[in-house]
Amino acid sequence: MPLLDVRHLTTRITTGRGTVRAVEDVSFTLEAGETLGLVGESGCGKSMTGLSLMGLLPPGGGIAPGSSVRLDGRELVGLPARELRRVRGNDIAMVFQDPMTSLDPTKTIGRQIAEPVLLHQRCSRAAARERAVEALGLVGLPQPRRRLDDYPHQLSGGQRQRALIAMALANEPRVLIADEPTTALDVTVQAQILALLASVRARLGMAMILITHDMGVTAGNIDRVYVMYAGRIAESAGTDRFFHDMRHPYSQRLLASVPRLDQDPLGELPTIPGLPPDLLDPPAGCRFAERCPYATQRCRTEEPVLRGEHGHKFACWHPVRGPVPVAAPRRAPADATAPGPGTATTGDEMSATLPAKRAVSARGPGQPARAGGPLPATTTAVERDEPAPAAGVPLLEARDLVREYPVRGARLPGRARRVVHAVSGVSFSLAQGETFGLVGESGCGKSTLGRLLVGLDRPDAGTVALDGTDLGSLRGRALRRRRRDLHMVFQDPFSSLDPRMRVGAILREPLQIHSVGTAGEQRARAAELMAEVGLPERGLDLFPHEFSGGQRQRIGLARALALTPRVIVADEPVSALDVSVRAQVLNLMKRLQAAHGLSYVVISHDLAVVRHLADRIGVMYLGRLVETGSAEDVCERPAHPYTAGLLAAVPVPDPAAERAKRGHAPSGEPPDPVAPPSGCRFRTRCPLAQARCADEEPAPRAFGPGHAAACHFPLRAPLPEQPDAAGVVPQVPTK
Amino acid sequence: MTAYLLRRTGQAVVVVIGVMVLTFALIHFEPGSAARATLGTRATAERIAVFNAANGLNRPLPAQFVTFVKQALQGDFGTSYSLHQPVSALIAQRLPRDALLLGLSILLALAVAVPMGVYQAVRRDSAADHVLTVVAFTLYSMPDFFFGLLLVALFSVQLHILPSQAPQAVSVGGILADPRGLVLPVVTLTLVSLAGFSRYVRSSAISTLAQDYVLVARAKGLAESQVLRRHVLRNSLLPVVTILGLTAPAIVTGAVIAESVFNYPGMGLLFYQAATSKDYPVLLASTLVVGVATVVGSLLADVAYGILDPRIRYDRD
Ligand SMILES: Nc1ncnc2c1ncn2[C@@H]1O[C@H](COP(=O)(O)OP(=O)(O)OP(=O)(O)O)[C@@H](O)[C@H]1O
Ligand code: SF4
Ligand code: SF4
Ligand SMILES: [Mg+2]
Repeated sequence: MPLLDVRHLTTRITTGRGTVRAVEDVSFTLEAGETLGLVGESGCGKSMTGLSLMGLLPPGGGIAPGSSVRLDGRELVGLPARELRRVRGNDIAMVFQDPMTSLDPTKTIGRQIAEPVLLHQRCSRAAARERAVEALGLVGLPQPRRRLDDYPHQLSGGQRQRALIAMALANEPRVLIADEPTTALDVTVQAQILALLASVRARLGMAMILITHDMGVTAGNIDRVYVMYAGRIAESAGTDRFFHDMRHPYSQRLLASVPRLDQDPLGELPTIPGLPPDLLDPPAGCRFAERCPYATQRCRTEEPVLRGEHGHKFACWHPVRGPVPVAAPRRAPADATAPGPGTATTGDEMSATLPAKRAVSARGPGQPARAGGPLPATTTAVERDEPAPAAGVPLLEARDLVREYPVRGARLPGRARRVVHAVSGVSFSLAQGETFGLVGESGCGKSTLGRLLVGLDRPDAGTVALDGTDLGSLRGRALRRRRRDLHMVFQDPFSSLDPRMRVGAILREPLQIHSVGTAGEQRARAAELMAEVGLPERGLDLFPHEFSGGQRQRIGLARALALTPRVIVADEPVSALDVSVRAQVLNLMKRLQAAHGLSYVVISHDLAVVRHLADRIGVMYLGRLVETGSAEDVCERPAHPYTAGLLAAVPVPDPAAERAKRGHAPSGEPPDPVAPPSGCRFRTRCPLAQARCADEEPAPRAFGPGHAAACHFPLRAPLPEQPDAAGVVPQVPTK
Repeated sequence: MTAYLLRRTGQAVVVVIGVMVLTFALIHFEPGSAARATLGTRATAERIAVFNAANGLNRPLPAQFVTFVKQALQGDFGTSYSLHQPVSALIAQRLPRDALLLGLSILLALAVAVPMGVYQAVRRDSAADHVLTVVAFTLYSMPDFFFGLLLVALFSVQLHILPSQAPQAVSVGGILADPRGLVLPVVTLTLVSLAGFSRYVRSSAISTLAQDYVLVARAKGLAESQVLRRHVLRNSLLPVVTILGLTAPAIVTGAVIAESVFNYPGMGLLFYQAATSKDYPVLLASTLVVGVATVVGSLLADVAYGILDPRIRYDRD
């Protein structure tokens, strides 16, 4: 008898707008010690499945008759509330996505962890407290006894997630449901938390349900994969089998649309057009039909049944054979990405209607960004009646940028002013048509650097130069004129657009501010911009909330393009987007770059996204740029231990690669930027640190053309010392 | 927390000084002199001059202000022009009565508003929620004096259950000896603030209920009542506490009206009479007292917030 046996689980939620068919006929079994993965895009019913097992449905939610959830043979569906509460937090426990909001801010973590123990075990307060200490020790929080009386805000994100896991484990549940437990965390901390979950599962002999949208996390942490789409199971298989022989088109496309480190970044990502269906009124037949390249008439009328053998099942009338072949990394010819067997077209629906090439651009002919290194800087200067900059002058150059924020709150007399060292002496340059990617953990100063580059914030020291002109030295008209060349796109497509403005007004606003063109011309330009980012023109009269997240990010890009800037700084442009929409926006960004000869600075915590977009990558740690180089050098031949650690932490959507992983993700979390460590700032987490690292700050050294890193004991031999490299990361031309 | 309290106290002191300067300036720039108000409109120029000299009103304004502050710090607010009593004695007599009236009604309002707001949040969009919302808005939109009069008409004139006049005893003890007279003024003020409070509690509890930690609490196996008591209540009260501090002036205004409706000789009536008779010392002193009370009220709210919210209590800066 399986530990958990779920059959025909169907969950409906009655809302004001109708009944949402959130989970439809989901069946699976789970054995002790096994990890099952529920995988899919947002809104496909993963969390609702987990919550149904716990009996924790939102108001209006209910489990339909005919559903069955058996824990060790005991039926949970229909159990009286009192009985069900005895199961919750005791036999089945759950960990949620966002550790920052999952703890009660007004109670100590000790009390919160002891709470379920007291509730289910009839023991004394002291005993429950002891149990909390044990649980905190189990999840690897240092000095658990001292941590008991801390409040949540005194812990970092990773520590909070550990505390939440401790809370879930306090009663040694038999099933742990982890709902996207690492999505809100940095990739380094994610690796730590996933390793922790695997080890406690083994130690306690628990069964685990891991809910994730991340194919990399799936490959490395799950025994059996259940792909969900629109409330249904689309495919289920053992992990290895799944990755090598996926049969459902949705599984295939989901995997293919993820940018990955072990993949050649040339060319476009295959995308899944459109959005998942509205579960208020799911389509008849196959729910994926609308987005499926293989859909036939039968698919639209007849619902495919989940069938198959040997524990590999899929619901599709026209199954595919295996994943889209992954283009091998490094020097693969561009046409190696051409569709293989079972592959469909790569275009996405919205941009397929786009004029092939920059029909609306106000600028001279653009060139593909990757036509072998930086483009001559003169391509765009022509129409701008500006002097062409001297050859060799980078388009955008940051020199020794420093930004320090005073620590908020009262300054007690007699104490020195304390500052957050957000950016400490960063230099890099960007050539015409090039993409520079900035990666690093949260709080390392990436966003601050981005704001400095576009002039949304002023540096405390250092300069930002565009075409060799220091932006800090410009005033008034000249400055405004230069500002038009630099634009920023933000992470959150929900909050960065004014909700009370129509999209047309949003797009015209930058033109009005800079008095470009007549009202009629501005309107025409707004329409052009919509076409350019693949949105229908009638969208101009709508408000931002009437668009999906991906569409809003397109609007953000359109607004950034309004003044035909030369550099776009994109801060986490796709972090808030779902896998398939993310691929659409990434493709759009590449297409716009090629059409306009744009230069990008792409800021992201996601190395795979940066690898996909960037020609060159800069790795930031605690306000410093610790390594720069071509995307290939940084990802394939890292010199800095931190870069290597970051790379090791990135989950790769390939079970074999995950098992074969050599390096280790950095342990711990970044120290407080108010008091960064002396010498090398990374030394508190560096596996190679020696005494010298604490005394002496490492200077950047060259490891190849355009490849530099600041480390005393790098992972590869540096080039012989160059006398003029002092202080600045050498900017040797790429390739 | 220490730094936080120091900062808040510092701000409070600055505000009180500001209130003093402002009231002093306003009163003294107002046309119509105290002398005329006290001595009558047909007073001769000499008598006015004598009055002004005797009361220091002929000196430059800054000098008058300095004297006022000096004396105020010693608890000396001068003598009332119209009542011919030391102002401090007048205030000492009336302030406790207001403290009693306001304290009772705020406590009562909270005791009803908190459960009511939480209940409405839990049963959001149910019939009960809608009914209570309508009741709250009706109460909220009714003028305070109208309310008082309505209650008097019903309970004193019609039903003869309760006296229409507040107790006139001088001391708090005397008032409490006959609490029946207090019922209508307290109920009026309670109903007036209840409406606002319950709305705040409701919306705050709704957003708390949507927090992830509430779901986590349910996932632990807590019963709904335990979830509410342990995790929702305190977090919902946090924003309400701040609002409570900010509504202090509105509550004081309500008190002025309730005092005149029920003829309850508190600070409000004193202030009103002083304003009409241009009784400068009383005006200044009572403005100051109300100002200080407001500032202290919001300071207390901040302290309460600090105690309820560990993020502030453990602010280590
Ligand atoms: N306006 C500000 N005032 C005070 N401190 C700030 C401000 N902006 C950023 N900081 C601090 O500066 C440091 C770097 O912040 P920044 O947001 O640039 O990092 P990040 O790497 O982009 O983080 P994330 O990935 O979480 O967005 C952080 O410690 C942050 O708290
Ligand atoms: S059943 Fe048809 S529409 Fe659905 S996934 Fe298979 S081929 Fe595509
Ligand atoms: S300088 Fe030392 S501590 Fe810093 S990264 Fe290199 S080896 Fe590690
Ligand atoms: Mg950021």
